[in-house]
Amino acid sequence: MTGFVVCAKGTNNLYPMVSSSVPPLVLDPQRLAALDGFDILDTPAEEGFDDLVNLAALACGVPVALVSLVDRDRQWFKARVGFPPCETDLNSSVCKFVLAEPDILQVPDLLADPRTAANPLVTGEPFIRFYAGAPLRTQDGITIGSLCVIDQQPRPEGLTPAQQDALRRAARQVMTQLDMRRAIQQRDALRVDETGAFRAREALRDTQAALAIVDGDLPAALRHVVTGAMRAIPAAEGGVVELLDGAQLVYHTPAGTLAPHAGLRLSLTDSLAGHCATTRTPQRMDDALTNPHVRRDLCDQLKLRSAIAVPVLRGDTVLGVLKLQSSQVAAFTDADLALLGLFAGATTASLAESEARAQTRSQAIYWRGLFDRLSEGFMIGEVVRDTAGQITDWQFVEVNPAWGTLLGLEPATAIGRSVRDVIPGVEEEWISEFAQVVETGEAITFVREVQTLRRWYEGRAFKLDGDRFGTIFLDVTQRVGAELRRNALLQLGDGLRDLTTTADMTRAAAEIVGRTLGATRAGFGRIIGDVEEIDVEPDWTAPGQVSIAGRHRFDAYGDLRTPLRQGEPLAINDVTTDPRTAADPAALQAIGVGALVNMPVRERGRAVAMFIVHDVHPRVWTAEELGFLRNVADRLEAGVARVRAEELQGVLNHELAHRLKNTLAIVQSIASSTLRNVTEREPVEAFERRVLALSRAHDVLMHKSWTAAKMRHVMESVLAMQADMDRFALDGPDLDISPQAALSLSLLLHELATNALKYGALSARTGKVRIAWRTEEGKAPTLVLDWSESGGPAVTPPSNRGGFGSKLIRMGLVGTRVADLRYDPVGLQAEFRAPLADVQVQVH
Amino acid sequence: MGQSSPPALPRVLIVEDDPILMIALVEFVENSGCEPVEASTIVEAIQILETRTDIRTVFTDLDMRGSTAGMELALLIRDRWPPIELLMISSRPWDEAQIPSRGVVLGKPFDRRKIEATLRRFAA
Repeated sequence: MTGFVVCAKGTNNLYPMVSSSVPPLVLDPQRLAALDGFDILDTPAEEGFDDLVNLAALACGVPVALVSLVDRDRQWFKARVGFPPCETDLNSSVCKFVLAEPDILQVPDLLADPRTAANPLVTGEPFIRFYAGAPLRTQDGITIGSLCVIDQQPRPEGLTPAQQDALRRAARQVMTQLDMRRAIQQRDALRVDETGAFRAREALRDTQAALAIVDGDLPAALRHVVTGAMRAIPAAEGGVVELLDGAQLVYHTPAGTLAPHAGLRLSLTDSLAGHCATTRTPQRMDDALTNPHVRRDLCDQLKLRSAIAVPVLRGDTVLGVLKLQSSQVAAFTDADLALLGLFAGATTASLAESEARAQTRSQAIYWRGLFDRLSEGFMIGEVVRDTAGQITDWQFVEVNPAWGTLLGLEPATAIGRSVRDVIPGVEEEWISEFAQVVETGEAITFVREVQTLRRWYEGRAFKLDGDRFGTIFLDVTQRVGAELRRNALLQLGDGLRDLTTTADMTRAAAEIVGRTLGATRAGFGRIIGDVEEIDVEPDWTAPGQVSIAGRHRFDAYGDLRTPLRQGEPLAINDVTTDPRTAADPAALQAIGVGALVNMPVRERGRAVAMFIVHDVHPRVWTAEELGFLRNVADRLEAGVARVRAEELQGVLNHELAHRLKNTLAIVQSIASSTLRNVTEREPVEAFERRVLALSRAHDVLMHKSWTAAKMRHVMESVLAMQADMDRFALDGPDLDISPQAALSLSLLLHELATNALKYGALSARTGKVRIAWRTEEGKAPTLVLDWSESGGPAVTPPSNRGGFGSKLIRMGLVGTRVADLRYDPVGLQAEFRAPLADVQVQVH
Repeated sequence: MGQSSPPALPRVLIVEDDPILMIALVEFVENSGCEPVEASTIVEAIQILETRTDIRTVFTDLDMRGSTAGMELALLIRDRWPPIELLMISSRPWDEAQIPSRGVVLGKPFDRRKIEATLRRFAA
């Protein structure tokens, strides 16, 4: 079929332009727009149209039929039969006359019609003579051409009505075909658009996914953006991100036609991208040759004709420009520009996100580093609950290296395990206190020992989210140990000062030492011979440990004597490895000794005793602990020396008292025998009894080594000599009085009682004496002593005033001579006064 | 030592190694209406007790050479001659629990009244 020939517009000059009459309708813009709307001109032949021209030719009995579309300067045939050319100029057109026709235009003889008589196709080949054309009219009533039938014979009768009808129907069919064709075209175009949009979305999504994983790698991010944008916008032949560097833009990750130009630097003022970066607005350029921002010389070099460019931002600053270009004019649409904007936005978002992530990561690294370098132990724990929700335990979630150092454990082995599991025998408080932190949310500070580790920790525990808590802590074993030892020494000092026997002292010291060092046994033993044996006094033991009180031979336990003989301490950290005991540690182990210290107590440089500390487990005795023991031993040594001195002093005091009393007895004896011939015995006896009274006062004084006496004791002692104590009523504060006051009071009371016995209240069976004393505050505090007799015979002042007894009484207390004697009928009433300072002793 | 007077006074054996004190002790015994028998050592005292049966009371000083000699003598007497009464004098504190039964200890210097009262009680 001839219809398959495609004729390109303007390439066939078979028909020279003839400027004969062209009906105005030909150039009607509305008509031309309608024609263009079908997008049919210069398209290949189609069977549907070919069929219709064949049918029309057949129905009308003519050799030629055409679907003729009247363009602005030609008529172009979509389908034709019996006519080879696919178009003619309008000079050769008869169809142009159909445009104005309401219905079929018939020209029975073209040669006879003035409109067509000069038509080259009539006057020349192929000498056409008959024409009938039905208008091709759109639904809007615009005629775009005609379906025409042509014969080389004139046909004066024209077409029959049936032929006309067929021609009309065929023309309508042509229009239907055209409408259908256009609908299909529009549908396909829509499909193309959809495909493009889909491709763009795909490319954008892939780009975003790629950006998400490049993680701050800027070159990689830019490469993904450029390739993604080029995929999304197929019109792009080249793409690039131009990064801002001062007043220049530098080509990064160029692709496509721009690939050879990596690193190219352009001034901001020389390019579309520069304009885009400067104004921060997207730019579309349809033709570089007319664009004021583009350097002309670059267009060829870069194969640039049209381009789109959008700014890439990081935060508020312009990082650069994303640009796509084409060598074609106007290759890009505004939709492309908008799409490119999305890629630039994705880039900005990715950069911001990766920066934030990098910052977070660097912070995390920073904190992690801090956590790892911390000299404090740090751990995160999570409580473990039973079915009732009660906290029963906790487990390690995270610990830092210092944690391992401070606990002496490998950090990795603890993670995920329970504290009871990691530290067997751990104190309940380590669980209950942290449980409380989680339950109440209140942070606590702790100072606590993990006894199985022999370490003290001070720190703070605080709640984290959920069932988690954190603690940060330090090992304060040394500090706590030092405090304990210091307190122990203070306690020991107090104990040693107050205790009066060496046995009490050593027992007290043993307990303090045992508890302070967390040992399992502590004791004190006296060394016998040349460090051959030891007598261990009752010792202190931890629960479950046996006492080793009693005598032990050193050699039975190993080679222990050497340091002790030199007065040096013996410290063994582990009896199974120490060379002095390793040969046979069984004897020590049998009495629960895994580690030991023997600290000698020296007397005049010689070890006379030693302090013994045992631990059932091996342990390292620190220099501080040994120093502490040395200190204890020294103090014990001093304390024992003091007690010994006091004991010795006591012995001397007793011996002195004994000698004094014996001597007084001898004095009595001499006086008695000297006065043997004195017939009056009374003065002799009075003398003897005064000596006796003096002696009683000494007795009382001796109890306090002649430094002081209890006032009441002094009184009772001397009065008991004279009469039953129930004859006396004593009432007053029990003052500590000086030796002088004690002697004076004794002699005074002795004389008063003697008189009362002879003449006063005590001479009668029912008589009594009340002795009351008090202190009177004032400028000089005074002791006032009242002696009041009752129940005896009526008394009168003695006639003689010269007796020794009377003198003693008038002397009063400590020789003050402040004595008021009243001889009441009921009995003697006497008051004695003395400065309290002269009487009382300040006892410390 | 008088053996002449026919009405036999209660005899008190005085044990005292200090001659001056002995004078005083003898006086106490005599004042109490008793007849003193003197011994200046423990050995002598024991010999007298072994040879005589008329000693009703032993009056001894506990402060003699060999510090515990006096108390040992007292215990010995209570053991060997249970009927004999014991009066002891001492310059040292004493432990009541150690004193032989019925024994009396009095301190130094002397309380003449108590000493003589005790001797009279023993003699009665």
